[in-house]
Amino acid sequence: MKLTYIQHIPYRHLPDDFQSRHTESVVTNAFHELVEPDLVHDDLRSALDESMYAARAGFDAVAMTEHGGSSYDINPNPDLGAAALAYATEVENLPVGIYTVGRSLGKSREPLRVAEEQAWLDCLSGGRLISGFPVGLAYDANVNAGVPPIETRARYDENFELVLRAWTAREPFPWNGRFSQSMAVNIWPRPMQSPHPPVSITGVGNPNTTRFALQRDLGFNLVVLGGDPKRLAAPIFDTMWSMAGEMGLDNNPYRTAMAVTVLVGDTDEQAAHLYSRHVEYSLARGIGHIPMHRLALPGGISPQGLKALLSRQAPAAGHNAAPSYAEAVTAGAVVAGSPATVREILADYARSFRLGNLLVFLQVGSMPKELTMHNIDLFTAEVAPYLRPIWSEYDDDNRWWPVRLGGQPVSQMQAEMTGARLT
Amino acid sequence: MSTRTGAETRSVSTWGGRVQLSFQVVGTGPALVYVPPLGGLVWDDFLLKIAETHTIFAPELPGTSAGDTFSIHEVDDVFDLVLIYEEALRTLGLVGAPVIGQSLGGMIAAELSSCFPDLFGHVVLLDPAGLWFPEHPWNLDVLTGPPSELPGLLFADPSAERPRAMLALPDDPEAAIDALAQLTWTMGCGAKFVWPVPDRGLVKRLHRITAQVLVVWGQDDRVIPPVYAQEFASRIPRSEVHVLPACGHIPQVEQMESTYKLVTDFLTDEHDC
Repeated sequence: MKLTYIQHIPYRHLPDDFQSRHTESVVTNAFHELVEPDLVHDDLRSALDESMYAARAGFDAVAMTEHGGSSYDINPNPDLGAAALAYATEVENLPVGIYTVGRSLGKSREPLRVAEEQAWLDCLSGGRLISGFPVGLAYDANVNAGVPPIETRARYDENFELVLRAWTAREPFPWNGRFSQSMAVNIWPRPMQSPHPPVSITGVGNPNTTRFALQRDLGFNLVVLGGDPKRLAAPIFDTMWSMAGEMGLDNNPYRTAMAVTVLVGDTDEQAAHLYSRHVEYSLARGIGHIPMHRLALPGGISPQGLKALLSRQAPAAGHNAAPSYAEAVTAGAVVAGSPATVREILADYARSFRLGNLLVFLQVGSMPKELTMHNIDLFTAEVAPYLRPIWSEYDDDNRWWPVRLGGQPVSQMQAEMTGARLT
Repeated sequence: MSTRTGAETRSVSTWGGRVQLSFQVVGTGPALVYVPPLGGLVWDDFLLKIAETHTIFAPELPGTSAGDTFSIHEVDDVFDLVLIYEEALRTLGLVGAPVIGQSLGGMIAAELSSCFPDLFGHVVLLDPAGLWFPEHPWNLDVLTGPPSELPGLLFADPSAERPRAMLALPDDPEAAIDALAQLTWTMGCGAKFVWPVPDRGLVKRLHRITAQVLVVWGQDDRVIPPVYAQEFASRIPRSEVHVLPACGHIPQVEQMESTYKLVTDFLTDEHDC
C-alpha cells in the first residue's frame, strides 16, 4: 500500500481559554487578538520542515490541504506549500509524490488558474503531482468564498470539466460556462504526466460523491474526522465496493484512501504522555472546534441527503466539552499507542476497507516540530514496514499514482467530457 | 391536488418548458399574489384571513415544489427568476392584481414591479430583502447560524403563540425529519438569490415602480434593520411606510391584526399615497 504524509498547518499557540472565549476555529476567530505574527512564520516553516522530514524518511507522497479563514489549517491554497515541496524534493532527488489533496473546485472562481498552477507543479516536480479536487467544506466554499451552497456542486462539475479539458486539449478551445468564460483556453504549461496527473476526490460519505468517483475512475479519499472508522467508514466503503461491482468495475484497493491521525510512542502509555495535550488542543481549539452549522448549510445537501443525515443522530458540536485524549483514542478518532497497537489497527483498516492508500497526519494541534519528527521516525521505522506489503499484488496496476513513481497512466474516464457529474 | 388548507395547486409551464412553476391557490374573490419568504409558504392566520376576501395565488420557488427538487438549477439568478414569474403571472391572467411579499418574497415582488411596472396595481412589502448599505450592514445569520438561534432572530417574542405555532415541527419524528429536510432545502433554494450579500442591484431599479406601495416593517426586526423601511420608501415614488412596535421580522405573524388592517385598508383605499 501507499503511505502519504499529510500536513495541516495549525496555529500552535492558541491560549488555554480559547474554547470558552471563542465559538469556533474558523470564520469568526479573531486573528489580531490571538496571533503573534512571528509565530505564524514559525508554524509555516515548521510545517514545511516536517513535510520535508517525512519525504526524506521515505513516505510515498507528501500532501497538503486547503482551508481558508482557519486557525487549524492556515492554508488558503495547497499549491503554495506544494510548490515549495516540489522544488525542495527535486533538489534532493527524493522520489516522492506531491499530493494536493484539497484544491477545492466547488469553491474556486478561477478554474483556469487551478489548471495552470497544477500543471506548473507537475512540471516542476518532474511528473510527481497527484491532484486532489474536493468539493470544499461549507464554511470555506460558501461562507469564506461566498458561493451559494446550492451552486457548489454545479460549480464543481463545470470546473472539473474545464480543468481536465484544459490539461488534455491539444489545441486552444473557447469555453462558455455558467460560471466562467474564455475566448481561448490555452494554458501554459500543460501537465508533464500523460494524459494528466492522477486525480482524486475527497468525500465524507455522500453516496453521490462515491458514485462520481467510481464513474470517473478517480481516487476516492474518505474523511471521517472525529469518529470511529470501523463504525463510520465501514458502511461507506461497503457501499462503494458494492457500487463498483454493480458497475462492472474492478475492486482495486488503490482506488481508495483514508485520512487518519496517528501517534506512535514506544508504549501505549508513552504515547499518551507525549501526545495527549496536543490531541486535546486540536479537539478543543482546532479541527474539533468547528460547529456543525459551519459544515452543513441550507442548499448544500439535497433533501434526500438531508433526511438521511437527520435520521442519524448528529454529533454534538460547538460549545460542548471536547473529548479527552483517552476518549478520542477509545472512540477511534485518533490511532495512538505503541507501534504494535498502531500497526494492528491500521492494518485492520487497510484490509477490511480494501484501502490502498493511507494518509497519515503525524502532526496534530500544538505538537512542536521535534515531537512531530519523533512521531515520523517511529512511524517509518516501526509501523510503515508492516503496512507496505498489504495489497502488493496490485502494485503493478496502480493507475492512481504517477508513472514516474511506479504507477500506471490514468484512465481516460477521468477526463471524459461526457462523463459523470456530481449534480 | 389539495392540502389541508384546501389549497389547490396550479402549475404553469415557463422558461421554454424547463420550469413548471407551481402556485398554491386559496380563497375567494379577486386575485391577489402572495410571494413567500425564504422559509417557504405557510398558510398562517394572516393569509387565511386575506383569503376570505381574495383568491391568493402563491408561487412556489423553483426547486421547492414536491417532487421537483432540481428545477432550481434552471434558474441562474434574480433576472431569470423575475422573467419566470412574469411569464407565469401573465399566463394566469393575474396582471393588475395586488401583490404581497414577505422578506425574500418582498424582494421578488419589488424586483417584478421594478422590471415590469404594469404587473401589479398595489404592492405590499413586509420587511423585504434586497437593499444592503455598508452603513447598515445585515447578514444571513438565519441561514449560516446555529438553528437554535433562529426563533430569536425572527421574532421580537419567540415565546408568543403565533411564532411558536409557525416554528413547530410535526409530533411524529419521521414527519418532523421530512419537514425539517424540506424547510432546509427550501431555504437553500431561496439563498441562491441573496447569498452571500443580499444585494442584486434592486437599489438601481426601485425608482421604476409605478404601483402604489405599502412598506411595513417590524421595529424589532433582527434580520433586516428597520432603517431599511425608509430606504425603500424614499426610492419608490408612490409609497407609504409603517413601522410596527413589538414586532420582529415577520409582521404578518407577530402583529397579525395590525398588519392585516394596514394591508386591507391599503388594498381597499383608492387614495394615492
